[in-house]
Amino acid sequence: MDVDVDGLTLTLGGRPVLDGVSLHAQPGEIYGLLGPNGAGKSTTLSVITGLRRAASGQVSVVGHDPAREALALHREIGVLPERSGFYDWMDAPAYLAWFAQLYGRRLTGPEITAELAQVGLDGRNRRAIGTYSQGMRQRLGLARALLHRPRLLILDEPTNGLDPRGRREVHNLLLERSRQDGVGILLCTHLLDDVERLCTRIGILHQGRTVFEGALSELATASNEGESYRLHLRTEPPAVPLPPGVELLAWQGEWARIKLDGTRPPEDVWRGLLAARWPIAEIHQEAGGLETLYLRMTQKEEGPA
Amino acid sequence: MNPILLIARKESRELLGSGRGLAWLLALSAVLSVLGLLFVSNTELSLLDNAQVVTMELGTITALGALLAVVLGSDAIAGERERATLIPLLLSPARRTDIVLGKMGNQLVGWLVMYLIGLPYLWAVGSSGQNLAQACAYLALFGTPLVLGFGFLAQGLSSRAAAVRSALVPSLLALILLGGPVMLGPSFRQSAIGSWLDRVNPFAAAINSFDSVVIDSQSLSAQLARLAIVLIWLAATAAFARSSATSMNV
Repeated sequence: MDVDVDGLTLTLGGRPVLDGVSLHAQPGEIYGLLGPNGAGKSTTLSVITGLRRAASGQVSVVGHDPAREALALHREIGVLPERSGFYDWMDAPAYLAWFAQLYGRRLTGPEITAELAQVGLDGRNRRAIGTYSQGMRQRLGLARALLHRPRLLILDEPTNGLDPRGRREVHNLLLERSRQDGVGILLCTHLLDDVERLCTRIGILHQGRTVFEGALSELATASNEGESYRLHLRTEPPAVPLPPGVELLAWQGEWARIKLDGTRPPEDVWRGLLAARWPIAEIHQEAGGLETLYLRMTQKEEGPA
Repeated sequence: MNPILLIARKESRELLGSGRGLAWLLALSAVLSVLGLLFVSNTELSLLDNAQVVTMELGTITALGALLAVVLGSDAIAGERERATLIPLLLSPARRTDIVLGKMGNQLVGWLVMYLIGLPYLWAVGSSGQNLAQACAYLALFGTPLVLGFGFLAQGLSSRAAAVRSALVPSLLALILLGGPVMLGPSFRQSAIGSWLDRVNPFAAAINSFDSVVIDSQSLSAQLARLAIVLIWLAATAAFARSSATSMNV
């Protein structure tokens, strides 16, 4: 497993920041780490990358314990931190060349140009980094993270400050690295579009705890409170009362929209409807979108105000 | 290349190539220029014995070198933290000790530059005297550990501080506390407290050595006790800076 985290806890300034974080990312997988501001995402990443030590819990990243084998780990991971600074007086090629040397790589001019080109930066540009826009800095940070061909990329808000085209380019780059080179990616973001486009599995943190971990489709099931469905009917439905927990929202022609209140598994409801002679031909779940599901999941954990 | 050398080289390039570093060196050169001009044009100062002028110039170069070291040291880690450049460095394969040692290497380069800047001024005020060569040698021998000590102290505090200012203020205070008594009159320095301070104060040890060698033409053997104080200062501050590697939190 690329990232294997169980029961992580950490207290900062007397306040529990992490209170049972668990993440499990497979090699080559793009794993999305989601959560509202202050949920503990960046702190979790700092523990995973060996910058902080957890009070308790198990952490293994590409087979290394970050607390004990930080140097070996840093050779195998590429990280784009949330707040990533640069030496503003340097230009991008000089910066990358210097950083590559820290990893024992001596980059030639064409190699530097290629490294910069893959993130959409011009290697011939000798402007000081201090004059770069936020988007250009983000791209440079990504180039730095990719520099040493890491097995695992840990990216904290990688598309921050990028325009839609830039975001799409970064998405494509990450997908390419994942599919072609088998690079695992742990993506920490609050942009659900990034998650939907890139991630195979996600973990949701809320108030320092993992409240969900699994595939996106599992999230829909896990937050199944009042899911709505579209039923394709062969004929008109019979005039009998609906089973408990089912509400008919609309009915038009061959299509009926129903809502389940989540008290019964959907399979039970379908069996009940079929037993009541509902002529169901197809069932389509109306996904509320990741955003709806995510909000529901984090609100559920928050409880009543 | 070794990460320590890589970091030291990058830091030195920043000192000599960035606007901020060059501004500092220019300011220090300006102070030395003004002082040199005063030595030759001011009626009272121009009447001083050549050896006394050289000693004052040595003290000034040392004090300015220590000031530069304090500024560089305070910025070394806390500055990186403020500018968010520390995390990428900590996430690289460089050990925290490498980072600390690389930054210490930059202190050495900073002092070397300051020393080289000071040499023409020393020559300008002391070329007609007897002990110019000794002055240059003693500036290297005593000034180097003294100045680096201030830099290492500031760097150690910088590792522990969240902001540059939090490291700069106590470091400047230490510089004033140790450099201040040297400026006090002879009556205080001859008192029991003053005499004791003179014996244990590395700043006083260096300045008194400049005095003894340049003005009184004493030999090195007579300065060994003072040299020991300055070296102990260097060792203690280096150990402090080195131990701060573990405090280099994000």
